[in-house]
Amino acid sequence: MIEDDIYRTSSQFRIWSFTEDSLKQLRATTNTIASERVRAALRRAREARQSAAPSAAGTPTANQSGSEADGKGPGERIIECLTPEEEQELVRYYCEKTVELGETYKPPMPTIVRATAIQYLRRFYLTNSPMTYHPKSIMACALFLATKTDNYYMSLRQFAAGIPGDTTQEDVIAPEFLIMQSLRFTFDVRHPFRGLEGGIMELQAISQGLGQPSPLQPQQTPEDLRRGLSSIPPAPNASSSQSLNDRLARAHHTTREILKSAAQMTDAYFLYTPSQIWLSAFFLADKPLAEFYLDTKIGGPLSSLRTKLLTTLTNCSNLLSAYKPLSTDPEQMKTLRRIAKKLYHCQNPEKANIAGQKRIPAAAMSSGAATAAGTPVAGGGSGESGAESEMERLAKKRKLEGGGSSGTKADDMFGGELVTQRNKQQGPTSHPEAG
Amino acid sequence: MAVSPLVSHSPSAASSSPAKLRAANVRSSATKPENASSHQPSQNTDRELTEQLNDEVRQKYVKDKRLGEGTYAVVFLGRLRTDPSSFVAIKKIKVNAEYKDGLSMDAIREVKYLQELSHPNIIALHDVFSSKDQNLNLVLEYLPLGDLEMLIKDGNVHYGAADVKAWMGMLARGVWFCHENFILHRDIKPNNLLIASDGEVKLADFGLARSFADPYLNMTHQVITRWYRPPELLYGARQYSGVVDVWSMGMVFAELLLRVPFVAGNTDLDQISKICEAFGTPTEENWPGVSKLPNYIAPDRNHLVPTQGRDFFLRQFPNAGPVGADLLMSMCTLDPRKRKTACEVLQHIWWTSEPRPTDKHDLPRKSGGTRKMGDDLTRRGGEIDENAFKNAARKLDFSAM
Repeated sequence: MIEDDIYRTSSQFRIWSFTEDSLKQLRATTNTIASERVRAALRRAREARQSAAPSAAGTPTANQSGSEADGKGPGERIIECLTPEEEQELVRYYCEKTVELGETYKPPMPTIVRATAIQYLRRFYLTNSPMTYHPKSIMACALFLATKTDNYYMSLRQFAAGIPGDTTQEDVIAPEFLIMQSLRFTFDVRHPFRGLEGGIMELQAISQGLGQPSPLQPQQTPEDLRRGLSSIPPAPNASSSQSLNDRLARAHHTTREILKSAAQMTDAYFLYTPSQIWLSAFFLADKPLAEFYLDTKIGGPLSSLRTKLLTTLTNCSNLLSAYKPLSTDPEQMKTLRRIAKKLYHCQNPEKANIAGQKRIPAAAMSSGAATAAGTPVAGGGSGESGAESEMERLAKKRKLEGGGSSGTKADDMFGGELVTQRNKQQGPTSHPEAG
Repeated sequence: MAVSPLVSHSPSAASSSPAKLRAANVRSSATKPENASSHQPSQNTDRELTEQLNDEVRQKYVKDKRLGEGTYAVVFLGRLRTDPSSFVAIKKIKVNAEYKDGLSMDAIREVKYLQELSHPNIIALHDVFSSKDQNLNLVLEYLPLGDLEMLIKDGNVHYGAADVKAWMGMLARGVWFCHENFILHRDIKPNNLLIASDGEVKLADFGLARSFADPYLNMTHQVITRWYRPPELLYGARQYSGVVDVWSMGMVFAELLLRVPFVAGNTDLDQISKICEAFGTPTEENWPGVSKLPNYIAPDRNHLVPTQGRDFFLRQFPNAGPVGADLLMSMCTLDPRKRKTACEVLQHIWWTSEPRPTDKHDLPRKSGGTRKMGDDLTRRGGEIDENAFKNAARKLDFSAM
């Protein structure tokens, strides 16, 4: 079992493999911490605003400062945070967008680079919340990092120029360190694609009478294998006249498409190994063919192992087949718009500008790092109060827009070009933050 | 941990270094959730989960004195906070103000591959953490006995065939493990082969490493230090395999035997002609397809050197013995398709024929004797030790290649 041993030393197994329960628990913890921090940050913003302008009109909190002290006033109630499930939906949407972004380059980025970027995003959001760092500001950097780690290197200038809209190089690179730290400095992602290619090559060899017998069934001849392959039942929903080569090509293609979509957008990588993932996808593409392939590997004396493996593969297949792309499903898009609208009100104002945080760890920031941000703060006397007032302005803006206009904003965000929207959205917050 | 096919005795698995044992626990692969979910984050919600995890790692180590500095990194001696007698090397990557594209490729490659490779003959990366100002710190295995280059060059160090066999065995197992994990090292040479306090050789410097490309995809040929670069790369091949590293291993083997670099060209062109002189001129006959390589230079028909046979290797490397000469020849076969793979190298009968490889604890070492690592540090700079430290630090500096 030497290959299994090697896989167990990989960072994908050591750090990024979970049971369903442990995955759920981790996401819940991340969500709890982020929610508390959002509430605290918004409370700080509100308090700052009150002390700066006690008679501010139009903010409901101004009249209820008494009940607010215990943190349960009406002001508090309107900060409704995202649930872990909502966070996951949102991240999934940006994973789909990552595929699109990779497509815009000429030539389009390789599948593997995009897949790595998606897994970076998914890993990032296991310990970070979209309420803290909006996926739209993390996504491009995750893709750029993937070009570096997957040997598809292009310069930052070239990369930024390829993004629709006016995203700057600084916008792209700002969260790089944050992402690397969240990835716990593990960059290797083990994908199921290579295993698929190998399996298809083996099946092609078998079909040509060049198959290698399994070490467990040495009595098999290449001719036995070839005969076995040509006598498997036809694939469901395929014409009976289909040649074996066509069938292999078709199964190959279908499997690959599943690996490019469902395998990326679900928790498959967190819950299953690369070979389990491609075999599960292969089962979905052409079950009789997949069963034959499995038999060449662990038929005969290993039938109990086969049963065990089939259970795992079935679970993984179910996960994969349950995936529906968001952008083509009006029902899911509706939910997503609601989540985006909700996020608009519970985005942590202190983390809105990642570029401003660059090289300032959070610990230093909490002790008045407004000065460290380096840029003069609009309207501020001292750095501290200036930044506070900026935050206050932001929070106020949110509240004022709470009624209707933010709805359009949220709609905007999911129509048209994503990154242009990103800049629009970031516009008001692109000042050094405090805190 | 996976075991090489030909580890006759495996003392390497049980290290005498306490730091390593502890690291083995840290990187334990037996239990599934080493991951974040097993952490119970404190109720201090002022720090994000990621930051809390990073703090935990950082606080495991105490930085001690500086061991060396290059343009790319500074290397410090470090200790485990809980056990100050366990040493590590902490390599702090300098943030390059000139480089605007984020973390450099060297650093990314090194971190990426060392995170995946856990083997007695590959330098261990115990941890990575960020310190203030977003500096990247790699916590590496502490290797205080310098490198193979030091030993080769020092005329006062005497060694024989059994010692060469021990060193080559450790190198071959390290390279085999890289390839087994689909990773090409692409810079094997004596000064990237560091030596642990127990004599174990460790493959270091993964700044040029990469995973195998998928079939038909190109890779760069501008890799591997010239004297150790195989002919296919000198001819500009963009698609190549693990046997590029095997050629380098062959060159290290030859250098260990001769105590000078075997084919040391001044330029890439000179390197090609020296290889031709030494091993024979590559032609379509001995290497089908060679003339199609982008930088292939048609040989002068009047100066064709025939491919060298066993006799040549025996003559050139008498101290290798006939079996050793045969192994060396199979590692420096011109045609990469005919060259042995790392796995085949390990299956060669040389390893099991006489003399048996020296036990790693008894291998010649430059600082002499079996001093404790702690002594090296408390003593005030003995000259040899000072060099050893400088050397170790320099080797960890990837810009110096």
